Parts: sequence; C-alpha cells; structure tokens
Amino acid sequence: MNILETKGLYHDFKGLEVLFDVNIEVSAGERHAIIGPNGAGKTTLFNVITGTYEPSRGSVYFKGKNVTKADSQAMVRLGMGRSFQITSTFGRLTAFQNIRMGILSRKGIRFNMFQKVDKMEDVTRETDEILKRINLYNERNFPANTLSYGKHRSLEISMALATDPDLVMLDEPTAGMSKDETHYAVELIRRLTEGKTAVIIEHDMDVVFSLADRITVLHMGAVLASGPPNEIRENQAVKDAYLGDMEENDASRSQ
Amino acid sequence: MMNRYLKWIVWIVIVASLVLCPIFCGMYFTNVVVTFAIFALFAVSYNLLLGFVGLFSFGHAMYFGAGAYATALALAHIEGCPLLLSLLIGILGSLALALLLIPIVARLSHSAFAMIHLAFSMLLYVLALKLRNITGGEDGIGGFPIPSLGIPGVFSLDMTDFTTFYYFAMIVIGISLWVAWFITKTPFGQVMVSIRENTMRVGYMGFKVTHSKAVAYALSACFAGIAGSIYALFNDLVSADCLHIGYSFAPILMTMVGGVGTFLGPIFGSAIFAVIEEITVRYTERVELVNGIILIVVIMYFPYGFMGMIGLIKRKILEKQLAAAAAEGRS
Repeated sequence: MNILETKGLYHDFKGLEVLFDVNIEVSAGERHAIIGPNGAGKTTLFNVITGTYEPSRGSVYFKGKNVTKADSQAMVRLGMGRSFQITSTFGRLTAFQNIRMGILSRKGIRFNMFQKVDKMEDVTRETDEILKRINLYNERNFPANTLSYGKHRSLEISMALATDPDLVMLDEPTAGMSKDETHYAVELIRRLTEGKTAVIIEHDMDVVFSLADRITVLHMGAVLASGPPNEIRENQAVKDAYLGDMEENDASRSQ
Repeated sequence: MMNRYLKWIVWIVIVASLVLCPIFCGMYFTNVVVTFAIFALFAVSYNLLLGFVGLFSFGHAMYFGAGAYATALALAHIEGCPLLLSLLIGILGSLALALLLIPIVARLSHSAFAMIHLAFSMLLYVLALKLRNITGGEDGIGGFPIPSLGIPGVFSLDMTDFTTFYYFAMIVIGISLWVAWFITKTPFGQVMVSIRENTMRVGYMGFKVTHSKAVAYALSACFAGIAGSIYALFNDLVSADCLHIGYSFAPILMTMVGGVGTFLGPIFGSAIFAVIEEITVRYTERVELVNGIILIVVIMYFPYGFMGMIGLIKRKILEKQLAAAAAEGRS
C-alpha cells in the first residue's frame, strides 16, 4: 500500500514554476530518498506535501486520504513528522523541552492549563527515554541553541520523530555535518526510523545509497527517474543530469 | 536545601510586609502599594503576550480600559450590583472585546499585530471621548457607589475604607497573579513560549498555532480586565485617560525594565517605576523625563532588564564557584 502519493503536482511562486507534474509513490515501510541538484525543487516538494504551501495543481494523498489542502498541523495529527534543512528548533528552550513538545502533541495535551507540565511523570519519562536514545540525555537542560552543531541536528531530527509519526520527512538531515557527524546521524536515522516510512532529501550519495530502498531523482522540478538504488546508479539520464558531475559537486561542497 | 529555606523566608517577609502595610504605613503609602499592584497585574497580563507568546502590542490599554469601564458602568447603572459581580462584569467586558478582535488579530504577528492594536486602541479612546451619554466623555464615569463585600445579614466589609479595600485588592490581584503564573507552568504555557521561539515549528509539532494564540490572547485580556476593574473600584472614577496610549506604554516600559519573558520581571518593573515616581515627584513634575532616561539606560546596558541583570550576577557567582571547585580538585 502507498502511504504517500502525489498526483500531477504543480507549484509556482507567482509565475516562477518550481514543480512540474510530480508523481511520487512511497509505499509503507520503505526509506525513500529524493535527490537532485540545487534548485531542483526538493524542499518545495516537501513544503507542498507537508502543508506549508498548497500546490497550484495536483493532489497529495496520505494514507489514502486527500490531504492537498491540509496544513502542517493537520498533517502531523494524521501521522506525519518533518525535520528541516535549516535547523528549526525552539532555540531558547532546553533540549528536554523541545522533545517534550512532541510527546505532549502525541498525547493530545494541547490546551491543558490545570496541571503543571513538570509534574506529568509519564511525559517526563517518555521524553527522557527519547533523549537517552539519541544520546542527548547529558545535555538535557541545555538550551537548544547552545548545543554543538551535530547535537543540534540530532535534536532537529528527533523532534520530527517525537510525535511518533508513521511517515517522517527528513529534509537534508546531514546538512553541514562533518564526516563523523554524518556517520553518526545516518546510524541514528536508521535506528529511529525502524518500522516507519521515511522520505529523505539528501545530497551525500554515500548516505543515499546506504540508506534508501528507493530513490527518486528530481531535476528542474520534474521527476527524472525513480527506482531502487542499483537502477538509479545505472540510469543514463540521471548520470547525465546529476551523478555525472557529482565529484565536482562534492568538491565545491567541501570547500 | 539552603535555597529552599531562603525562598520561604523571602515569601514570608513579602507577605508579612504586605499584610502589615496598611497598619504601619498610613493611607498614602497603602494606596501607592495598591496602584503598584494594579499595574503589576496589568504588566504581567501584557507580558503573557510579549514575553511568552512573543506578540508585541501597542494597545493593551484597551483591555485595561474595557475592564474599568465595564465595572464602572455596571456599578453606575445596576441597582445594588454586588462587588464581585461588578468585578466579573469587568472581566467579561475585556473578554468580549478580545473575542471581537481575535478573528482579526490572531493571524497577525510582528509589526502588523502591534500597529493594528495601536489603531484599535486609538479608536476606542476617541469613542470613549465622543460617546458622552455612555462614557461621560472627558469627565468619565465617577462617583458610582462602591458596594460592600459580604453576605447580606451575615457580614459586610465596607470597601470605601482604605484598609479593607487594600486587603480585597491585594487578594484579588494576588490570586490573579498566581493563576497567571500557574498557566505559564502548564503544557499550554509550553505551547506559548514555543510559539515565541518558532511559530512555524509549533505547527509542525501538531499544535494549532492560531487557536493557541487566540486562547493566550483572551487570557491576557482577562487579566488586564481584572487590573482595570480594580482600578475603577479603587479610584471610583474611570475616564478616557485609561484608554490613552500612555496606558498602553506603561506595561511595555515595566516589562522591558523588569525583564521580558520572565514571570517576575514585570512585577519588579512595576515596583521600580512606583519607587522612582514616588521619589521624582518630590523634586519635579517631569516624571516621564526620568522614566525615559531609565528606559534608554536599560535598553542600552541591560537588554534583559532587571531579571536579566540578576541572572547575569547569578551566573557570575556560579562560574566563580565552579572555577574555585575546579582549582580545588586540581590541587
């Protein structure tokens, strides 16, 4: 069964077309990577799917439901989580409080004004469990924006997973990380997305080919190819458009 | 452990001095304390928006004024209106105004939010001046009866007596402050600060941002309404002045000087201004001049206000202790 499906998705920013007829199918349980050069429309695609924007044409189906017009909050309640390319935590709140927002959301505690949140023992326990799993328990009481870059990114990714979604959308989870940090983050993602469906935007080809079950290549706002990693690696069109100048890309990225 | 004792001692001293104030300080200072408490609650209600949700408003006097006018009108027009009912009407007056504006303002933020409040508060100010047969125009509504608090035939407390009114006002304001503080500690309080930190992400964590903002806004309006209502009862006079922009800026100054985003900040801010005004009026009438200079100094040198300064001192002491502990460990 396809947990996520887009049909003929178009999006434009006041005349500037960014997405052309994007059809993506993500089946339940797979790790689906979306790759493509800068400006291919990957993040825009994420924004359209997760409810930041409404597409100008086409529709999005999540768990068989038409969610084209659903906003971010509605999507999360339906069981989707999303992390951001540009770290987007609650900066002055502690790592603990950041994760706790996800736990509160999952438990449906939203307008409770009659109980102290610190006294909710089950919430505290579950939050601490997550912090231990992502190796942030020692930094529990540090404000998010004082964490090291790698730890801050781990927090960013884990916030998307704290609401216990069925589908997680990770927008360049390893953006800006060093080699060691990337390696650690990949392990983290592998561990945390066990049994879930994940859609991942990624630039690092090592990460993509080691994590993904399926890959979709986006180029100039359109789907160039979609299939298992081996197929994509051999695909001539993909090689021409993207993988061919990968070394060049890597060189420019590491500068 | 030491800290906990210290906390209790501080609380006992504060409560005891507030209880004993009317007995030892006389009428004048007692009334100064009531004014301070009213503005402390007003500033705290404002800080719920500015410090916790991150919404900057130039027109919070609307809700102070709505509470004051609603209470005054109730007492002037309803025969034998009980005291607590007039207070409740004051709160409902503010709440009604908030519910009217929420559909417009709840989606806004930043400067649009600030400016639309300036517009609405000026509109209300002019309305209060022009609708003479309702609001009394520039003269306002004054001389309305202040009812006694009590159960008929059982007991009755005369609220025109300054000592009794002092205790009544302090208890109402104290309870309001406690409720406001409690709310900031609840899950909803967490949602409020999260909206301040990153509005977009709150949506992506599955919370309804607009609804949450609306609820926080209505709460803030209610607390401002309580402050306004007590103000009306205290002065036995409400005029268009309390809708004026000066009353919108008072809580901004107090919050800034006291410390944005901390619960106690606005209360300290209100106290600081009360003390400074008390001193400056002895020498000059230009109280605003002194207030302005203080604000400039605070913004330039203590951007996080009084509470920020305390936090800084605490951190310095802690760092020194840590350094000392580290040195000891090494030797």
